Amino acid sequence: MPKEYLTYVRKYADLYEGERDIFIKDLTPGPRKYDTKQVRALVARSAENLPGADTLWVRSEMGVLDPKPWAIKILKELPDYVKGRPYTDVFSVMNK
Amino acid sequence: MKDLRHFIGQLEQNEELVRIKKEVDWDIELGAISRRVYDQYGPCLWFEKIKDYPQGYTVINGECGTWRRVAIAMGLDANTPLREIYEEYEKRIEGRVQPNIVDRKAAPCKENVFIGEQADIYRLPAPLIHEGDGGRYIGTWDAVITKDPETNWTNWGMYRFMIHNQNFLAGWPQTTSQFAMMLNEKYVPKNQPMPVALVIGSHPLDHMVATAPMRPGVNEAEVAGSLRGEPVDLVKCETSEIMVPANAEIIIEGEIPTDAIVPDGPFGEYPGFRSGTMAEGVAFRIKAITHRNNPILSMTALGAPVDDSSIAASLTAAVGMKLGLQRRGIDVTDVYVPPEGVTHLVIVGVRTGGIEVTKKVLDFFIARRVMVSKVIVVDKDVDVFDMKQWIHAFATKCHPGRSIVVEHFVGKSNALTPCYDAEERRILKGAFAAFDATWPLEWPKENIPPRATFKEIYSQETQDKVLAKWHEYGF
Repeated sequence: MPKEYLTYVRKYADLYEGERDIFIKDLTPGPRKYDTKQVRALVARSAENLPGADTLWVRSEMGVLDPKPWAIKILKELPDYVKGRPYTDVFSVMNK
Repeated sequence: MKDLRHFIGQLEQNEELVRIKKEVDWDIELGAISRRVYDQYGPCLWFEKIKDYPQGYTVINGECGTWRRVAIAMGLDANTPLREIYEEYEKRIEGRVQPNIVDRKAAPCKENVFIGEQADIYRLPAPLIHEGDGGRYIGTWDAVITKDPETNWTNWGMYRFMIHNQNFLAGWPQTTSQFAMMLNEKYVPKNQPMPVALVIGSHPLDHMVATAPMRPGVNEAEVAGSLRGEPVDLVKCETSEIMVPANAEIIIEGEIPTDAIVPDGPFGEYPGFRSGTMAEGVAFRIKAITHRNNPILSMTALGAPVDDSSIAASLTAAVGMKLGLQRRGIDVTDVYVPPEGVTHLVIVGVRTGGIEVTKKVLDFFIARRVMVSKVIVVDKDVDVFDMKQWIHAFATKCHPGRSIVVEHFVGKSNALTPCYDAEERRILKGAFAAFDATWPLEWPKENIPPRATFKEIYSQETQDKVLAKWHEYGF
């Protein structure tokens, strides 16, 4: 039985097939549902392209669910967070 | 009134609270119920049995979601008129009551203490509030406490925080918030993590204070004491020097690393849309959790008004704005932030109007961070608390060609304002419009149109004559 995960992207088009580092939320029912981890994973648009993969649901920046899930195969777990200074995203865009 | 539990008793006495004994799922169901009740202007809800959690771990939603409940929190009669609530609040926040420092043994929030790996955030029934939210928001009706390491000034703010995982919360205090300023100015340069405490389920007025725009340096525990009419009991955190309300239900202690980012959002936010976009959020490393026996998790299922957020800000922001405008020398009669306008629309009454005064009002609102986007300035004869009066003034006295002043800016707007596009929200680009709904000062008095109401367009003699015969007309 494949596990189910959830991730968020600004736009659906931002998600591409192949290997990538990604934050995913574990959708296993129970008190730890939505627990987040950062992983290096293979993702594919369809489970047929990634046999044995788990299910990856995708929501947009506004929380809108893509009705067709992706497939994900976790290669390894990464640290809980990304290295970086808080608010850098805002400051960097503002300084452009 | 010492704490939330006492307040719950007061709400029950006033038939403002409903206990939900049926088991409810923390995953969407609890949020959906809460939102529907807000949509129907319903009562505060106390969820007594949460799926996946033991009996006694409960959630309360909507404790200050109506003016009646705010009045009760302030110890006033539930039916106190809105203007009187404003006046009482304005009077009390000018006062200061020193807090009591209590020993940890006397602090109910220390009845259960979990430090380090023992601090399991999943012990608490944090809800997934809206379908599609980026996570379980444990901090919605909270008070986030941080401390300036140089001046010891302690800031209370209300910022959203969601569970990232066992070790971290993810939060998104806006870049222009006092939280962000303290982090960026006092801790990042020294590369020191910023200690922080997330307070949940405190006295309702503590949370109101956390929403209030206070100037840096103001001791918000003292303000909360003045609002309550008695000192706030404070106790030191287990892992930092931060002082927290001793009677709060839950305290999550931690620190904000200066070199860590975790994804936050999206989240259905206070403007009434899921405009709280994804962001590279601050990482709140959990170091300890303390809570009372049978802890009550306070929350607000934020969304379209009216709810706790729009009510609280209507009061605390309006009074803060009024005092700020007065400090700038603007002769303000009243300021009203209609809850339906979710702090994006403000009504300012002035004794002397005109476009130049309206421009001064605009200058005040865009001086630093710009959370508001529209202000309507009305003459002193308009009751700002009466929506039909200020809508009438706006519709008729604001000249569409010469009474609207607009300013544009980057880097200080409200990233949650729904009408801004994604790029604007990301770079805090926005605009502010001031609508002058006052009569131009240069108009001769005899040329100002009199308002056609019974009291204003008829002479006193005519009014007296009509009123004297009122019953004779057959009414």
